[in-house]
Amino acid sequence: MSKTRQRRHPAAFRLEEPGSLTAQLSRAASASGHSVEVLPEPDFAPPAVAADNPLPAKRPGFRWGRLFWSAAAGLVLLAVGLAVTDLIEGLFARNLELGWFGSALAILAGISLAVIAAREAVGLMRLSTVEHLHQRASNILIDDDRTEGKAVARELLVLTRRMPRLARSRAMLESHLGDIIDGADMVRLAERELMAPLDQEARRLISAAATRVSVVTALSPRAALDIVFVLGAALNLLRRLAYLYGVRPGTLGLVRLIRHVLMQLVASGGLATSDSIVQQMLGHGIAVKFSARLGEGVLNGMLMARLGLAAMDTIRPLPFTVLPRPTLRDLMGDLIRGYGDGEERQRPPQAIPQSPSG
Amino acid sequence: MIELIEQIRLAARAFAEFGAHLFDPTIRLGVTGLSNAGKTVFITALVHGLTRGGRFPLFEALATGRIARASLAPQPDDAVPRFDHEGHVRALVERRDWPASTRQISELRLVIAFQSLNGHQRKLTLDIVDYPGEWLLDLPLLGKSYETWAAESLALSRQEPRAGLAKEWHAHLATLDPAGAEDEQAAVIAARLFTDYLKACRDKSYAMSLLPPGRFLMPGEMANSPALTFAPLVLTGVGPPPPNSLWAMMRRRYEAYKDVVVRPFFRDHFARLDRQIVLVDALAAMNAGPDALRDLELALGQVLDCFNTGRNTLVSALLYPRIDRILLAATKADHLHHTSHDRLEAILKRMTERATAKAEIAGTKIDVVALAAVRATREATVRVGREQLPCILGVPFAGEVMGGDTFDGETEVAMFPGDLPDNPDDLFGSDGSAFRGLTSVSPQGADFRFLRVRPPRLETTETGVPALPHIRLDRALQFLIGDRLQ
Repeated sequence: MSKTRQRRHPAAFRLEEPGSLTAQLSRAASASGHSVEVLPEPDFAPPAVAADNPLPAKRPGFRWGRLFWSAAAGLVLLAVGLAVTDLIEGLFARNLELGWFGSALAILAGISLAVIAAREAVGLMRLSTVEHLHQRASNILIDDDRTEGKAVARELLVLTRRMPRLARSRAMLESHLGDIIDGADMVRLAERELMAPLDQEARRLISAAATRVSVVTALSPRAALDIVFVLGAALNLLRRLAYLYGVRPGTLGLVRLIRHVLMQLVASGGLATSDSIVQQMLGHGIAVKFSARLGEGVLNGMLMARLGLAAMDTIRPLPFTVLPRPTLRDLMGDLIRGYGDGEERQRPPQAIPQSPSG
Repeated sequence: MIELIEQIRLAARAFAEFGAHLFDPTIRLGVTGLSNAGKTVFITALVHGLTRGGRFPLFEALATGRIARASLAPQPDDAVPRFDHEGHVRALVERRDWPASTRQISELRLVIAFQSLNGHQRKLTLDIVDYPGEWLLDLPLLGKSYETWAAESLALSRQEPRAGLAKEWHAHLATLDPAGAEDEQAAVIAARLFTDYLKACRDKSYAMSLLPPGRFLMPGEMANSPALTFAPLVLTGVGPPPPNSLWAMMRRRYEAYKDVVVRPFFRDHFARLDRQIVLVDALAAMNAGPDALRDLELALGQVLDCFNTGRNTLVSALLYPRIDRILLAATKADHLHHTSHDRLEAILKRMTERATAKAEIAGTKIDVVALAAVRATREATVRVGREQLPCILGVPFAGEVMGGDTFDGETEVAMFPGDLPDNPDDLFGSDGSAFRGLTSVSPQGADFRFLRVRPPRLETTETGVPALPHIRLDRALQFLIGDRLQ
């Protein structure tokens, strides 16, 4: 009941003229003698997110390609099975021991194949879980569903369970799960708490890879050599980013991830709106003026950075809302500076925008 | 037996409709709400927004431009009056007055032409029904016998503050003998006094909600018919009533009321809903006091229990369609500063806890939202000395009173309606003294004052009327029909 007593009393204030800033007190003026000011507030609008990432269109029609590949794979599998059976039968016909040895090998191969397949399946599932989570979070930002927001936050907690550096953030987010928070705000909160440290690390990884690639390209004696190196570095970067955001894809998962990243790259060009192509071309042009090699190095580094950004968009469990998406310019800044001092140096912690409510 | 026949009838109709809707999907949107909850305004704003392209950023299909157009179409039932959408819009914009209390049922069909996410041209038909909110209270009667209903009504009328209003009726009731001979005059007087008592309970300073039967308050074309001339009696005996007694007569008429009035209403408009929005005016109850709030809670619980909720399976969609989404909306959210909207939602959630838990188990999706279909106020901060009050700016109707001031219906006023509690349980104290409302104190002493505010002033442009401002109407739409527009 004590709370009831603290409640403020209803009151009304007559405006002298519509839209005026000062108003005359109609009640309690004599009692308190205070002056009254009315400050109109800007129109309140519920949190709205521009739907720039609309729901993906389902592909119309039947997936003939998928059917073809499934059927073809089934045929190949049958052929392999037939060949192995024939082989073992042949071995038995020749010598009993040899036959047993052969079948033991076949069983071992079968078991290991099953384990590998299971692992790949888990990796693929994990990848699609994360991508699905991203989609769900985008939907929540649009429709502001409270229960769904909490569900996503819970899943994020499960996903990041094994990341020691997020222990504190996880505890913080967990403590907010019981509060009344709008769905969209919940997603924003989760992003701020959980994604900020990961984003920083991702940015460091990307700029380190870009630096390495550009240095190697600038110094390598053979073009073929740096192609191999760039490919290797790209794969490595993708895998490390995936692990960073908690995906741990297998080989097939990595292949699918590469496909999605390339699609993303094609769609966005790896550019954020704040980057201008002119600027990049200028920078590249100047570098070329100094030395063709150096120019090539910068170009390759830039490509690497773009790839990293696209991968980040694909694999990050939440869309960028409150945290800024790193731009190519940021990364190029790192790249240029990276020439000066050693790679993978510790970056000073970035200022992270704090929540207004705290 | 009657129940069984009804079920078969409904199943047959659902089956026929399932076939017809296979290629032309239809959503029956149930707009539910007690009287004065804002059903008519909600429907008007919804239709206006969809047909004239309102500002709905959170309604994905409209915001991304996938809705080509939405237009009114001839309604399916020829016997039901048409919802006077144009008239209501005119009243809102030109006279700046809310639509009058709904007196009869009306219907509207809206056809939305849209492009689905994978590029197909589609059409979605939205059937909406408007009806007097009083009638909604009849639905719980379907499952009650006359004896149960009489006992419940009596028990309710003996509680404060109703007892004071029911004095006259109680006095007359004491003179009646249920086992005595049929007496038309006694029945007429009892029904009149009972109706007077119900009407008194509805007064703004009591704002009671649980007042069945609904046609007593809003008789429509049935006024003075025998089916509306009955009242509860004090019943002591059990078993069947003696033949030709007053009791038997009342009981017969009660059953007739259910057959003639309630069952057709339920069958035609509630048994076949797909989506449901329940509009609740919690603010009027908070104006009146804790008793009104508890009464509203009871009424909502009974009404929600009448609906057939749950996730649809193929069989149920064929024979027994269920409501798979319910949106609970606390209306008139524009009477509060937006910082209090979360608390209003919490209060509504607290009031409907039991009924929604049941529906959720059955698989129905439920959401709670604080909403204003037409937003009549702006917001402002009022600084009094060192204190800052989050206020709303609006024009109260002539005759509204607050803090000893009576308004003339023309001046704009900054209003601070009072602080809603962080914990909704604070409003539902058991002793009835959780807060002070108009039931117990004068307007000066009340803890909450929500004045009736006139609709906003809108400039009429050459293209017609501009979009009506709203709060979260787009979110409500997204929840109710967004998934069918994908």
